[in-house]
Amino acid sequence: MIDTIARVEENELTESASRRRYGRLRLRIKVPIAVQPGQFAMIRPHAGEEPLLRRAMAFHRADRQGDHLLAEFIYQIVGRGTEALARLRINDEVDLLGPLGNTFDLGETAGTEALLVAGGAGSPALHMLAGQLNARAIPTRFFIGGASSGDLCALADFIELLGAERVTTATIDGSRGVTGFVTAPLEAAIARLERPAVIYACGPDPMLHRVARIAAESNLPAQLSLEAPMACGFGICVGCAVPVRHDCPEGFIYQKVCTDGPVFRSETLAW
Amino acid sequence: MSNQTIEEKSPTDLLAIEIAGIRFPNPIWTASGTCGYGLDMAELIDLDRLGAICTKGLSARPLRGNPPWRIVETHGGMLNAIGLQNIGARAFINEKLPLLRRYQARVIPNVFGYTIDEYIEAIRILEDGEGIAGYELNISCPNVKAGGESFANDPRQAAEVTAAVRRVSTRPVIVKLSPNVTSIAASALAVEAAGADALSLINTAIGMAVDVNTRRPRLANVTGGLSGPAIKPIAVRCVFQAARAVRIPIIGIGGIATIIDALEFIIAGASAVQVGTANFYDPTASMKIIDGLADYCRQHGLRSIGELVGTIRLDQ
Repeated sequence: MIDTIARVEENELTESASRRRYGRLRLRIKVPIAVQPGQFAMIRPHAGEEPLLRRAMAFHRADRQGDHLLAEFIYQIVGRGTEALARLRINDEVDLLGPLGNTFDLGETAGTEALLVAGGAGSPALHMLAGQLNARAIPTRFFIGGASSGDLCALADFIELLGAERVTTATIDGSRGVTGFVTAPLEAAIARLERPAVIYACGPDPMLHRVARIAAESNLPAQLSLEAPMACGFGICVGCAVPVRHDCPEGFIYQKVCTDGPVFRSETLAW
Repeated sequence: MSNQTIEEKSPTDLLAIEIAGIRFPNPIWTASGTCGYGLDMAELIDLDRLGAICTKGLSARPLRGNPPWRIVETHGGMLNAIGLQNIGARAFINEKLPLLRRYQARVIPNVFGYTIDEYIEAIRILEDGEGIAGYELNISCPNVKAGGESFANDPRQAAEVTAAVRRVSTRPVIVKLSPNVTSIAASALAVEAAGADALSLINTAIGMAVDVNTRRPRLANVTGGLSGPAIKPIAVRCVFQAARAVRIPIIGIGGIATIIDALEFIIAGASAVQVGTANFYDPTASMKIIDGLADYCRQHGLRSIGELVGTIRLDQ
């Protein structure tokens, strides 16, 4: 974990047919930090005092370039913090704390197939994972859902990485792929599995709840990357509590999404 | 030493202070609830350079804390309702303290309870710990045996818990005051009379935020404590008023993020200050303030930062 100032190389904004807005932020970090799939950074514009708190962003890419790191983040513009990020111009400075959090566990993927499930702006958390699974020649399929085709964040990056035949899309408005939620094609794929599989997912809570239930019903392990409001990202504010099953009278304790996660095994969550 | 010019003085010479009989290397501390148990900051700042660490609030037994959502950002600050989640005083002295006392920063456990007996129980556990400089009492919790109002809301109850802890503690007791009172001076005087060795203020200001789409409170706990730069003017005013009311030293807290912030509090009457919410968004803020304070002393010809405490000018 380092606290540093990164420089904006690109900040491309898009708007989907569902009127959701997204930014793709590329940063140059002058320290070659090692980032693992699933990890995140806390970022905010260096100039000004708005917002006060940094925002948690999963690394979409983290590519070494000499002794620098080129990092890419994709964010949905939802409030003051991400509005401030959207105003960043090329060469602006960004406060960056990272890498933070645990990582996806690839240990159980040997001899299995990996099913990656993303909802909207949850896909960046899975992109580096997809790259590593690919590098290990683990058969990988990617399912992404969103309100409309423009909400399928980083879809082209996943198609480039895995090939279009390994990518399944679902949209609520039917503008691309299956009409409806992404969990429907996921269930269909699980019904036709020919070997054991591991599920990796990141997206809105209702989607993750559904994925957790599907995993439990089909007896497949699932690793979920959670999101929670957090002030610090490194364990001191204790704002990002998530209930985790525990052997105590109440049956659960609160753990921190930032340092105990953001990746949790679905069966450990006391939702 | 007497021939030494101010320019030659080391930051330690310029910044060392004594509060309640304890020498601190400098007056910059980290505030309870914003630095974990101190060790959580070790990767980002040099704990040997901090004046003191006020730990996350500790109770006699571990506490699970509130359900999410626990925090929400507001303009210039944030609301939190963590619910005092902590590992308990015993786990602190067994697991954290042995590692924490290796650093130069003084260790000040922050202690709370929901009855006076719970405060006493927590202090008794902590008395076993080696390397503790003193205690900071969080008296903003509800007193469940007296109608659930916060101890801090009633000067008599604030004094009662202070006196009870003072009787069982062999170490200095700093009482952390709440701004959610009619008269901060009355609170300060009451706990001073009850034996407090120093005061720290302010704790968070109670606030609330509403989600206009769902019409629900933004925090699961409904209300929460407001912290950050937004509360700084309230905190400076409270420190100023408390400093004029009591003789015991005051430690200023509330939105301190920069050297200017720290100086404001010191001039208003604080002998030391705590950096709080800034640790979340600028983890090295305390280090920058320490550097800036030494420079300020040199520029203003101060032999010691202590010369600046309470020097606010009210003359026309």
